[in-house]
Amino acid sequence: MSQELTRRDFARGTVLAVLAGGAVFLVRKANGQIVWQVNAARCINSRLGDTGVEACNLCTTECVVALSAVRAVNEYSKCGRCNICPAYFNITSAVNELGQPSEKLCPRDAIARKPIGKVDPEDPANNFYEYLIDEEKCDGCGKCVMKCKEPLGLGSITLRIRYDKCVNCNRCAIARACPQNALSQLPVGQAL
Amino acid sequence: MQYRHVQVIDGKGALRGIAVDALGQLYAAGDSEIKLFDVAGQLTRRWPTTRPAHAVAVAGDGAVYAGELGQIEIFDGAGKLLHTWRDEKLLGRVTAIGFTRDSVFAGDAADRAIRRFDRAGKFLNNIGKDNPVNGLLIPNGVVDFAVDSQGAIYAANPGKHRVERYTYTGQLLDHIGRFDGIDPAGFTGCCNPTNIAVRDRIYTTEKAGPRVKAYDFSGKLLAVIATQLFHPNCKNMSIAVDAHNRVYVVDTERQAILVFEPVKA
Repeated sequence: MSQELTRRDFARGTVLAVLAGGAVFLVRKANGQIVWQVNAARCINSRLGDTGVEACNLCTTECVVALSAVRAVNEYSKCGRCNICPAYFNITSAVNELGQPSEKLCPRDAIARKPIGKVDPEDPANNFYEYLIDEEKCDGCGKCVMKCKEPLGLGSITLRIRYDKCVNCNRCAIARACPQNALSQLPVGQAL
Repeated sequence: MQYRHVQVIDGKGALRGIAVDALGQLYAAGDSEIKLFDVAGQLTRRWPTTRPAHAVAVAGDGAVYAGELGQIEIFDGAGKLLHTWRDEKLLGRVTAIGFTRDSVFAGDAADRAIRRFDRAGKFLNNIGKDNPVNGLLIPNGVVDFAVDSQGAIYAANPGKHRVERYTYTGQLLDHIGRFDGIDPAGFTGCCNPTNIAVRDRIYTTEKAGPRVKAYDFSGKLLAVIATQLFHPNCKNMSIAVDAHNRVYVVDTERQAILVFEPVKA
């Protein structure tokens, strides 16, 4: 008899614990404390070792928000500030009179650049450049991310979910579509 | 002009810099050691460095110089430590070393400059620093250069897609090279060439995709020595050329040294 009660108590306790855990999760999620984020080490656009393949644009096409909540973000401390940035230029386009590729890479023209520091107006190859991503234009297609990663670039550009754009779906459509399982839910403190 | 791939030497661990001496022996820096390979590519000796070695070079007297973080260690041919030049500012991260009769040159990647010292280790002058504007641009993290028989310094300036020629006092004489993502005569990507060797001609290596080329001194492309043989993720592939114009190139990912020789017409 007492054994039966113990089993029943245990089962009830387990169910309550699961429900309580779920409730805490939902409360934290509702309060914006649990968020979706892209794991750069899993995303094929930024993951080291995957070179010579087309950029994956599922973050652009699968997000339920009209202009995806995913954006390319350039971490300036890692950026090489190169004259010929493969994330900015289509480096296989014809070379123009300035000695630079004649085409840009971004299909939405979302990356701007300007020379910084000591500037040589005569020869653009002598300068450092700052690359700024316009997040109102970027739709997270990942092309620049793929071209920025090592060894072609320095891996300073990665895809990130902008919380002010994300509607925090319970089952994120990008996460469901991502073949790399690169999106996961994290407490705010652990997310980028 | 053509080259053929003739040998693969197992690097026996990480490989950063390589050098060939007058006898055709191959020295390799990597991990925290110097490795010596005979002309057949067999490992014959290895000895430790006190810090991870980024570069190695052999002087005319047989002394072996190892470039490290904050210092250069100088060994005799048997691996016995003779001297240590320590200077955290001038030798921040030594990724290349070269010589003339009276001078020792060290590429300091931490400060994007080539340092010139006398044979006793006294600093004399910088080369390539802020010359003409912003100096050596090295997003790849390595300063590499070579010294020709006349004492001119040929520095890879990958951010400018050039090879620059300097006097030993630091005067920029001229440069060869240009960006081009299609024409193999140009240097592609964000920053190439990364590494350089000079003997009868100028030899360069590039990353993404890895490529080895030879130019004459006017900048005319003479040969694409190799492209497909290297792991695609290789970068900063050190290169050396021996007295018979055999070309040694590091595959940094496979930790091997690939050897090429010119095909005689």
